Amino acid sequence: MSLLVLVVEDDREIRSLLQASLSVEGFEVQTAVSLSEAAALLRHKPPDIVVLDLGLPDGDGVQLVRELRKQHSTPVIVVSARHQEAQKIELLDAGADDYLTKPFSVGELLARMRVALRHRGTSLAAAVTTHALEDLRVDLAAHLVERDGEALHLTPTEFKLLARLVRSAGRVVTHRQLLTDVWGSEFTEHTHYLRLYMAQLRAKIERDPTEPRHLLTETGVGYRLADA
Amino acid sequence: MVQVYDVQEQGAHSVRSWVAVALLLAAATVCNALLDPYVSLTSQAMIYVLVIVIAAYKLDWVQSAVAAVGAVTALNFFFIPPRWTFDVESREHFIALTVMLVVALIISHLAAGLRRESRHAALNEQRARQLQSLASSLANSTALDEVLALGQLALDAVFGGPNSLVLANDADDLIGDTAFPGTMPQAMRDGLRCCIAECAVLGPGTGRWPGLDAWYLPLGDKGRVLGAARVWPAQADDSDGREHAQALCSLLAQTLWRVRLAASMQVAQIEVQRQQLQSTFLAAVSHDLRTPLAAIVGAASALQTQREKLSPSEQDRLLGSIVSEASYLSTVTENTLQLVRLTSLQKELKRDWESLEEINGAVLARVRQRDPGRRIKSQVPAGLPLIKADPVLLAQLIGNLLDNALKYSAGEIDLVISANAQALMISVKDRGPGIAPAEQELIFEPYRRGDQSGARGAGLGLALCRAIAVAHGGSLTVRRRGGGGSCFCATLPLDEPQPEKELA
Repeated sequence: MSLLVLVVEDDREIRSLLQASLSVEGFEVQTAVSLSEAAALLRHKPPDIVVLDLGLPDGDGVQLVRELRKQHSTPVIVVSARHQEAQKIELLDAGADDYLTKPFSVGELLARMRVALRHRGTSLAAAVTTHALEDLRVDLAAHLVERDGEALHLTPTEFKLLARLVRSAGRVVTHRQLLTDVWGSEFTEHTHYLRLYMAQLRAKIERDPTEPRHLLTETGVGYRLADA
Repeated sequence: MVQVYDVQEQGAHSVRSWVAVALLLAAATVCNALLDPYVSLTSQAMIYVLVIVIAAYKLDWVQSAVAAVGAVTALNFFFIPPRWTFDVESREHFIALTVMLVVALIISHLAAGLRRESRHAALNEQRARQLQSLASSLANSTALDEVLALGQLALDAVFGGPNSLVLANDADDLIGDTAFPGTMPQAMRDGLRCCIAECAVLGPGTGRWPGLDAWYLPLGDKGRVLGAARVWPAQADDSDGREHAQALCSLLAQTLWRVRLAASMQVAQIEVQRQQLQSTFLAAVSHDLRTPLAAIVGAASALQTQREKLSPSEQDRLLGSIVSEASYLSTVTENTLQLVRLTSLQKELKRDWESLEEINGAVLARVRQRDPGRRIKSQVPAGLPLIKADPVLLAQLIGNLLDNALKYSAGEIDLVISANAQALMISVKDRGPGIAPAEQELIFEPYRRGDQSGARGAGLGLALCRAIAVAHGGSLTVRRRGGGGSCFCATLPLDEPQPEKELA
């Protein structure tokens, strides 16, 4: 059975473009032009994944994501313009899975959707505990981090930070989410912790910390552990 | 004798002065009585003269005259033979008594004049000081309300009040009334309106509406009256008071005028800026947006109508040009919007502790897609200080500089980041044709490019880069490199102390 995608987008051209490209890839596509229509469709038949445009005429979508998260772990990918940083981060913190900045290519969208779908249901299935890409290998259960087969020594905080990213490998994790999960909810304003620890972690993991291959920066939003 | 009755008739004067007169006379008389066996009549007369001089100097002229007459009478009664009578025996004594009386009156008159003048001088000095202190406190005011409040305080300090200050607006309404907010009596309102309309002082002693009990003073000169003041109480003969009120009002008027001019100048400046941006934006639409749009429409319509006739490789070329022109269009749009946001809306920067190494890494990851030959050589030292900055803007700054260098040069590009205690420096050095000294400032103007050869520029790229550096308190400059090429150098100051490294 093909997967059902709900595309929430008010621009007709982009909506039909997405519908066409996603159908070609074998998705069953449903579209909504407003948040209220999307909410109605979600109640009627929950999709497997949602592609949500920011700046819809009837609101900013945070409510929709919160409502959806109460019952489902359906992945949500946010599509935003460059200047909608704050709104985008709010949605990610509210539980959206990833984001794309307009203009984006269909290839990028499909890649993001694949990652999001892979993580779907991680709350039910065994959580991701291992990660391997090129020279890097991480096994959380064994407390093991290797580069080129050589074990790396990480401090407890560095390991917690890396572990948090491994569990969401391929997806963006916002500053707030990282600070909350690694240091605690009272540290959400201490972004300099992230800068300093991420620099330490990169110095150990990356071949060239100035052009990282694994620990990618999503400027102004958060970090992403590369998984492809 | 006769004068004694006068004294009684003038009993309205303050009791204390009269007691003083009586005490002085009694003291002199007692003193003379004690000295009587030892001194001559001349010395006794001198003691009375002393009393008269003291009274004349300290008390007003009625009391000092009474003191003089009293002294002469006492001298006559107690000491001049025949004693215990008011009779004057010799002509000499009569002359002495008369002279003493005249001296007393003259001294009293002189002393009173002196007192009046020194009081007057003190008042003038106080008023001058008030004007001076008002002027200095007004010098820093920038709001009309503030000026009115200071003016009100100044008027209340001199005149009993209630005093009021109002401004006239364009619709001829009175606004900003300080003493009677919303409850000003109609007569007062009319007086102020009339004063503004006539632009003249009204009230007692001015020859206009002398029947009023207050002065109405305009704030401003003919042709630019900003408001009016009402000062109460007002006396027709108090011309000094009126002049002082006028001086205060003209000081207030000058300040009000200055504040109003400053406000309208600011409005004008914002308007000029807005128009400049508008023309910049129009320039963007007319050139940097229209050209790629034409290319996109051309390629897309060719594919639409002639697809069968085009070879697959030609189709690929057209598709590639659509994608690259569209992404160029997106960059120009983004730069234009960001520049408008930065310069016109006084956008608050979203500053946070950021690592330049990290931002630079993210930019390189994107730019490398257009740099397959890895022409960009980056040198980023480890352990750069953190900077409190807007990460999205810094990424745009570095990205635009690198895009430009890739576009205008063919050789290697050096990206060097360095730091000292005060600032972070980002340098992008290329081996392109270089920029003529005359052009070196112009390239930072919106919509100017180094070459006119047809290679397309990043539109507002450099203008935006400079605006971003300036918004962070820094600068962006360009210089020619020895051996050819250009070096763009952005300096970003490290204003805030580094955050504590002590980590949880």
